[in-house]
Amino acid sequence: MRRFLERHWYAYAMVLPVVVVIAVLVLYPLAQGVFFTFTNINEGNIANPVLDRAATFVGVGLRNYLNVLSGDPSFGSFWSTLVRTLVWTFSCVFFHYTIGLGLALLLNREVKGRAVYRVLLILPWAVPAFISAFTWKYMFNAQYGIINQALRAIGVDNPPVWLGQNDWALVAVVIVNVWLGVPFMMVALLGGLQAIPGDLYEAAEVDGATPWQRFRHITLPGLRSVSSTVVLLGIIWTFNMFAIIYLITGPNPNTRILVTYAFERFFSGASRDYAIASTYGVLILSVLLVFAAVYRRALRKQGEVW
Amino acid sequence: MAEVAYVKASRIFSGNPPVRAVDELSLDVADGEFLVLVGPSGSGKSTALRMLAGLEDIDEGAIEIGGKDVTNVPPKGRDIAMVFQSYALYPHMTVAENMGFALKLRGVNKAEIKEKVGEAAKLLDLTKYLDRKPKALSGGQRQRVAMGRAIVREPAVFLMDEPLSNLDAKLRVETRANIAALQQRLGTTTIYVTHDQVEAMTMGHRVAVLKDGLLQQCDTPRALYDKPANAFVAGFIGSPAMNLKTVPLTAEGAKLDGIVVPLPRTALDVASGANLSEVTFGIRPEALGIIPSSSTEDGLAMTVELVEELGADALVHGAVRIGDSSERFVVRVDGRTPPTLGQEVKVAVRDASEIHLFHPESGDRLTD
Repeated sequence: MRRFLERHWYAYAMVLPVVVVIAVLVLYPLAQGVFFTFTNINEGNIANPVLDRAATFVGVGLRNYLNVLSGDPSFGSFWSTLVRTLVWTFSCVFFHYTIGLGLALLLNREVKGRAVYRVLLILPWAVPAFISAFTWKYMFNAQYGIINQALRAIGVDNPPVWLGQNDWALVAVVIVNVWLGVPFMMVALLGGLQAIPGDLYEAAEVDGATPWQRFRHITLPGLRSVSSTVVLLGIIWTFNMFAIIYLITGPNPNTRILVTYAFERFFSGASRDYAIASTYGVLILSVLLVFAAVYRRALRKQGEVW
Repeated sequence: MAEVAYVKASRIFSGNPPVRAVDELSLDVADGEFLVLVGPSGSGKSTALRMLAGLEDIDEGAIEIGGKDVTNVPPKGRDIAMVFQSYALYPHMTVAENMGFALKLRGVNKAEIKEKVGEAAKLLDLTKYLDRKPKALSGGQRQRVAMGRAIVREPAVFLMDEPLSNLDAKLRVETRANIAALQQRLGTTTIYVTHDQVEAMTMGHRVAVLKDGLLQQCDTPRALYDKPANAFVAGFIGSPAMNLKTVPLTAEGAKLDGIVVPLPRTALDVASGANLSEVTFGIRPEALGIIPSSSTEDGLAMTVELVEELGADALVHGAVRIGDSSERFVVRVDGRTPPTLGQEVKVAVRDASEIHLFHPESGDRLTD
């Protein structure tokens, strides 16, 4: 042991600061969050140094989990919120991927002004998210928004109230998030496309493949490793995409996903219920962990080393 | 099986000025023939092959396969198979899937694909590797898979674009022989591109030499070697290269370092007919020899600068003074008694009939 320390103290001394930072910023809050899920902590019983009040919350065992998982509306209707989260996530990622791939394919050809198109298409990425969120919010305004004006102009008499308490609100946030997420997919897939050797296409052409067959047998398999990575990232990001939904619709039950509900529970309401919010946090983490594990196994079965 | 014809086919790349990568190439390849396109890089040999494959436009002229004009036919309709320099194997498919891909696209049923792939694999000694991905194969095995992919299709014409350039030297020699034997056996018309003149000479029934997009000569390896049509072909074919020097002409022959090498009467007549005072004189290293300094025979005084010992024989590089300049010559001598570095040796032409004469400006051959 002593010899070990003597030999390697320098290496350990070098990694120590990072270990400390990660422990303080990641591990401690995570452990504390997990701990809260087994208590009834809220604004009323947390230690408050200003009021000189000691903590009075108590352990409640698994009651928070039972309450949340029962699907009770007073605890956020966990199951229907989960379903909405999945609908939101998969519709966003589906459109991100398909539109991103389409644009990447167009940009991968020899077109005049390719550099200009590339910059224009990356623009949504460069604009701060809250600015685009507010811009879209005005565009979706039921009475004065440009979208409904356009719809009326082409003869839709009763355009939807986009951001009201109905499912159009979910459609609206999906549209905004797709618009925001496409550039990333496009750039990543364009990189993937450019890594496919051109002579594979020529070989396929000589082998008699039609353009569609070349896409199916050369392009898609060639993009597989890039796709699997960006789709996984896209799913994780979208699953936890709080900012867009909250900035555009606020606490609207029709656009409520798991993270926005955790936020509502934590910061608003009569008693800020930290225990339930933490329970949601732990459940979100578990869902994503399970998903990532399944996804990884599926990829490995396809022979992808990842 | 089919014959192939290039009819004044050109490929012009846009630019300023436009580049004629292949310039009015006319070439007839007989059914079952193995034709090699050879030339230095940038000579247009690969472009010519890709024009035949349909991967490159034909801007002027035409190309015919099996008597049919295919100038505007896409690759799919040309009944050709191509082996690429990089092999271009589909990385996500197994060896069997790679080889059967073209048949699968054509809608051939699975049992038949399996049978044909099996046959080709047996021919190429790939049966053990049918379930592997290209990543898990060695360079030589990948090369064979690329060949197999072409064979399985049973095309009218094989096109090969430097298929051996990614192999090591030993394997290259071995594979060279295998490809030639395979082509003999299948009897399929084959167009083969290479920059390596040894490959060209050993494999081709006929060899077409290209330079700057222009066909220089197309003939059997023997004829290319014995009667190069111009100075470029003379210098390109043969290893080491022919000694080519432009020297003054006298009434009896070519003047080299004080001695006059007698030339055949016909050559002198042609030269004087063209009013030439100089001539490009070519002689292969094996047509030169070192003679004892005591010999009374006329010879060139050469200072030995480098001796390359190849075992059976040795290549002696040295400098000979011609007029005011020092010219380099290569002489092939017996491997057992090579001269030493720095030695002064006397070099003589062994056989005057081995001398090639070319026009000093156009480079065209002067004698038959």
